[in-house]
Amino acid sequence: MSDKNPDLLEKISSGIEGFDDITAGGLPLRRTTLLMGGPGCGKTVFALQMLVSAAQRHSTPGIFVAFEETARRIVANGETFGWNMPALEEKQLFFLDASMRSDVVKAGAFDLTGLLASLAAKASQMGARIIVFDAIDVLLSLLNDPVAECRELYRLHEWLTTHRLTGILTTKVDDNKPGTAQRYGFMPFMADCAVLLSQRVSDRVAVRAVRVLKYRGSPHVLNEVPFVIGPTGVEVGSSNGVHPEPQPFEERVSTGIERLDEMLGGGWFRGTNALITGSSGSGKSTLAGAYIEAACLRGERALFISFDENARDIVRDLSTVAIDLAPHLASGLLRMEAVRTEAASSEEHFMSIKRLIAEQQPRCVVVDPLSALARVGGGLAARAVAERLIYLCRNAGITVLFTSLLEGIDPHLETTTLHVSTISDSWIQISYSLEDGERNRALSIIKSRGSKHSGQLRELIFSHIGVTLADPRPPGGAMLMGTLRREKEDADHAGDGSRARVEKS
Amino acid sequence: MNESNPANHSNGAHLFRLYVAGGAPNSVRAIANLYFICRRHFPESHRIEIIDVLKEPLRALAEAIVVTPTLVKVSPGPEQQIIGNLSEEDEVLRALGLPQTESKESK
Repeated sequence: MSDKNPDLLEKISSGIEGFDDITAGGLPLRRTTLLMGGPGCGKTVFALQMLVSAAQRHSTPGIFVAFEETARRIVANGETFGWNMPALEEKQLFFLDASMRSDVVKAGAFDLTGLLASLAAKASQMGARIIVFDAIDVLLSLLNDPVAECRELYRLHEWLTTHRLTGILTTKVDDNKPGTAQRYGFMPFMADCAVLLSQRVSDRVAVRAVRVLKYRGSPHVLNEVPFVIGPTGVEVGSSNGVHPEPQPFEERVSTGIERLDEMLGGGWFRGTNALITGSSGSGKSTLAGAYIEAACLRGERALFISFDENARDIVRDLSTVAIDLAPHLASGLLRMEAVRTEAASSEEHFMSIKRLIAEQQPRCVVVDPLSALARVGGGLAARAVAERLIYLCRNAGITVLFTSLLEGIDPHLETTTLHVSTISDSWIQISYSLEDGERNRALSIIKSRGSKHSGQLRELIFSHIGVTLADPRPPGGAMLMGTLRREKEDADHAGDGSRARVEKS
Repeated sequence: MNESNPANHSNGAHLFRLYVAGGAPNSVRAIANLYFICRRHFPESHRIEIIDVLKEPLRALAEAIVVTPTLVKVSPGPEQQIIGNLSEEDEVLRALGLPQTESKESK
């Protein structure tokens, strides 16, 4: 580098989790960012959070100019996210009520010259470095003259540039009315960073998404990325840069079923994820229960997330196969959380699972069933969420077990609704075998990354003394299940004394 | 006090406060328009206070002035804000509660 470029792009963290990932570092410093979106998309919250974060994390004073809502409402809004607005207002933030009272009459053209002069004085008085113009379109539309509106925007942009301020402009665009978008169609050209927020309804569930349209001089994620407005503000569900190198697997974690551990060569690898698929009633939750009980018995913190089934029912059902979770729930070692599938989008589910993980700090997690995610908010979004959940757990060294329902009746159709099987480390399939008027459960390991595993189909036996697998099929012999197996075992027992560990119930 | 009929422009002093931004075109126009309107409608009883936001930038913020030019009719009450360069005379008169000029009247 021969000489230092004064125009070199610097960035400031947006303070929004995930947004910095998709913009490769945050907002352009001392430049203009444009946030566009329909009504209720979260533009104001986005902008406010960026301002609050700059004040809180970097002690950068800022100004919020509110053209639509009253400043008081915006402050109150910020307080609902737990941001300490009164303290910030006292020292670092200034809110300007720039909404026009309804009784104000317009009689001719006006401009922003005075406002910008006032703001410049205020900014230098308080040392503000970042400024939000929220709903700038509300003021500009009063001009009712496209040429004048354009001129004022350029005036604003120029003012931001000369005062070396980081500017955030929000403006409404209406997807249904292309005219409004066109009206301010030049805005993205003017801004250094243009971001589009949107909200749509998919399967009756509202899904919010953010897309970086442009970012002058910086790489950014082109795709639309989901976001939620949670209890602490905006969180963008970035899937960028979270694909870590798989850690070398070493430590094993018991599945809670001794014979299954043997089949896997010692259990799951610590920090990996396992998928258990099977049709309804095949016993997926029971395997999950066995795994979580084993974790608690080792003294590890655990989290059991179930969709559409309450914890009490699960605990009761598991107690019939001698899995007792009650004491671990009582001690706090285990937390069980029942989530209603339809109550939220898959993105919101992800955020709440993330929160639960942060609160419980588990080493072992069960999500039962993961396929519930696919039922709301579209399969693609759910798949992305599933992936991020997997990476989240892997990064945290959490060993996670997912169950997934196979929707089809065909038991040979070995795919999952979310196609997570391709990214899961281990995959166990439970199928039904119908023979001689009996329905028996058969378990097989379809894949187990990084370790040798048994390829055998084994009968899965649930009984009042526990869960286990039947003996493997003898070489050359027939696979016997249920009554036939028991008869054979009894016969063998009479002969040489070897038998399955678990009694028939 | 005159509160019953603000349209009656022959009584009571009209006090106006006009916020401008230095020599910005809209501001210059607003000053001229305001003097013209006042001379025409309140020839004997008006007072105009002009505040240059460029010289007193923080005052405008404190007084909740957003755009320039902004005209505030301080008295007679109630207070009324009119934004713009006041070139739309009918709008100004309507806001002040005065009858509009003859040319625009349609009866």
